[in-house]
Amino acid sequence: MTQIKRDANYIPPNVLPRTLQLISPVLKNKWVRNLILLPSTLSGKRFSNKTADYGVFQPSRVSHLDQLSIYVKDIATSRKWYEAIAGMTHSRTCEAEAHPYRAGFTIKCCYMNAKAHDECLVLVELRNEQGEIITPSAMSFHHFALEIDGNQFQDVVNFATAARKKGFVSSYGVVTHNDIPPNGDGETGGNTAVYFYDPDYHLIEFCGTMDTIENYKERRAVQ
Amino acid sequence: MVSKFQHLVFYVNDLEESRAFFSQLLDLQLSALNHPDSSAAMKMANQEMRFMSFGFYHHDICLVKHRKLQFDNDSLMHYTMVIRDSNAYDKILENAQTMGMSIKVGRMIKSAKMENHWKAFCFQDPNNHWIELILK
Repeated sequence: MTQIKRDANYIPPNVLPRTLQLISPVLKNKWVRNLILLPSTLSGKRFSNKTADYGVFQPSRVSHLDQLSIYVKDIATSRKWYEAIAGMTHSRTCEAEAHPYRAGFTIKCCYMNAKAHDECLVLVELRNEQGEIITPSAMSFHHFALEIDGNQFQDVVNFATAARKKGFVSSYGVVTHNDIPPNGDGETGGNTAVYFYDPDYHLIEFCGTMDTIENYKERRAVQ
Repeated sequence: MVSKFQHLVFYVNDLEESRAFFSQLLDLQLSALNHPDSSAAMKMANQEMRFMSFGFYHHDICLVKHRKLQFDNDSLMHYTMVIRDSNAYDKILENAQTMGMSIKVGRMIKSAKMENHWKAFCFQDPNNHWIELILK
């Protein structure tokens, strides 16, 4: 596996420029969305992507997600961030161990708890054969989502307000991923969300109100 | 305060290849797609998504193809899914064998908790993301 050195000022190429972050609330306006999609509309390529087009009715062989391990530059900095913004709690930090699939590399793992999900997040410092910390790329995943306690629209709004009061700067939201005004941004899933970059530019969604099979069935019955 | 890890959205090279992989192995279902011809946000971000559901929430994992940027495996070490029951565990192992996948028995991280009655194995998806399946 190739290893690319990244300096301390590395900014991943997928990070949304601040200008776009600031104007992103305009996506809650359906006329703006229609304007952005005008070329697709005029060319006849535009299509629906609504949740209601894809019914999910059967349980799969998987019940839920359990653990996510992400590389971080500095466990102490990241731990402090997840504790401060998300109220996560520290479970344990282990001694260095061999990387599970990168020969010669070592990892140090910090296990973090959510309120109802023990050790769901693992903050991992990665060191190469020379013992140097590897700066994470932030280019393996787009984002991951942590559900806000309460799981309602207002809980997400309250979370975002509290985070901003603490000095955290959101990159997008609060929006709801549907097309219902005034908070819908035209996306799918029904989840109300606010997004923040963590200290390593991992994009984190804090969410609630995700659509489920049950509320999909209810809406379908009404239609 | 957050209550749980809810969903993961990760980069792939080929959306259809990955969708087929997760459907065949784990019976995950396509719950929606986002495309630059259907979504203003996707148009602006130059990317396309396939949402996959475990069968209760609208999506649990989501596959993303960025049309310009190349992804790598230098920020995600692994993620874990909990298998529904022992029948599902056996079926997944059978599918993995049919699909010619190599698996690593046991937990991905040596320091992760492992109880005597749990069973776990790990494998790579078509984009070399490491996934752990666990039966508790």
